[in-house]
Amino acid sequence: MHPDDKANDALLIAKLKERDPNALSAAYDRYGTLTFSLIVRITRDSSVAEDLVQEVFLRLWNRIQDFDESRGSLSVWVLAIARNMAIDYIRSSHSRFSAKTRPLDQTDFAPISYKPNEVDNTLDNTKAVREAFTSLNPNQRKVLELAYFEGFSQSEIALRLEEPLGTVKSWMRSALTRLRTAMQEGRSK
Amino acid sequence: MTHSEMEELYELYLLGALESDQASEIADHVHQQCSYCLERLKESSRVVESLSGLIELKQPPPELRARVLSIAPTEIKKSRSPWPAAFALACAASVALAFWGIGQQNRVEELNRQRNELRSALAILSQADTKTVSFGQAQTEPQGRVFISHNGGVVFLGNRLPELASGKTFEFWLVPAKGTPQAAGLFKTNAQGIAVNVLAKSVNPADYAAVAVSIEPVGGSPQPTSKPILIVPLG
Repeated sequence: MHPDDKANDALLIAKLKERDPNALSAAYDRYGTLTFSLIVRITRDSSVAEDLVQEVFLRLWNRIQDFDESRGSLSVWVLAIARNMAIDYIRSSHSRFSAKTRPLDQTDFAPISYKPNEVDNTLDNTKAVREAFTSLNPNQRKVLELAYFEGFSQSEIALRLEEPLGTVKSWMRSALTRLRTAMQEGRSK
Repeated sequence: MTHSEMEELYELYLLGALESDQASEIADHVHQQCSYCLERLKESSRVVESLSGLIELKQPPPELRARVLSIAPTEIKKSRSPWPAAFALACAASVALAFWGIGQQNRVEELNRQRNELRSALAILSQADTKTVSFGQAQTEPQGRVFISHNGGVVFLGNRLPELASGKTFEFWLVPAKGTPQAAGLFKTNAQGIAVNVLAKSVNPADYAAVAVSIEPVGGSPQPTSKPILIVPLG
């Protein structure tokens, strides 16, 4: 993370803990679009995403005192809340059942796009991860997408792709290793 | 599982992709506050959540902003909890003036001013070219940071400044390598002794050797009338 992003985060966190409405506004301006986009990608429903975005920021507002900055950045925390809420939603709703029972090619969104100019560089080393992601083979990308956007476990992914569990684990491990390495190299540059 | 075995699984754990027995084992270990694992987990969380940066951005409807902001109360609460020490320097923007005996009739204007100041500070901190200079290592001297951006301006955050006598104020100065100091804002400290000064205009760091703070009569001075209490070299 850029040092000034840290300072920016620190200012936001402190103001949120002060219950300053201006800080909530600033947090929304910073993370609202990314949060909305992530939830739309997971739930595939814009109106649901609007409700969940409001829930995400409500949780941010109410739980900011619990936020421990030593465990990670504010952006990571906000996006983890958003992802968990969206996955909980699709798991608890009928849409989850429908999605699981439909063939992959009918249910999945288009693969993750690589459009550097359209992507907010909010997170650490996102550019390095994007570049690493493009270097993954289709199987590696698919397992990451299913885990991140669908919340599937490795065994669920194996079932869904009709591949041996060991093969899925191998794809997953190699994909994550590549991303991890890309982030480390990006940080050292 | 050993640490090295767990290291391979942190991202999968955060993704929720592990089977329940492995996930439980890691969760139990993490709950024991293992510092080694917590640090690795922090790294892994960056990898996992960076995946969200790969999606195509979609603009939320404009009305969603109002919905989200309706969560918060419409005015700043007067009761304040102690600020976490780690962020004491960073959280001064706009709050400091709230304690300056603002008349009730001026409260709305003052809150608007604070909001604008906070936005200006955030904008400066967000600039790609922002340079950060820390000052004050000794326990007894003023301590803080200066953020300076050619495109955004200058944010001064400080604490442990001396107490002001009645009729006095702090004045912030940009000090060129040659020539006289340039006045860059008046400020005071809040109840916690934290001060902020935001100068939201283009400032080329290369044009200045230092920033400084002096104590001046209320209303400020065109040039320092006292020896600066603080000089922070920018080089």
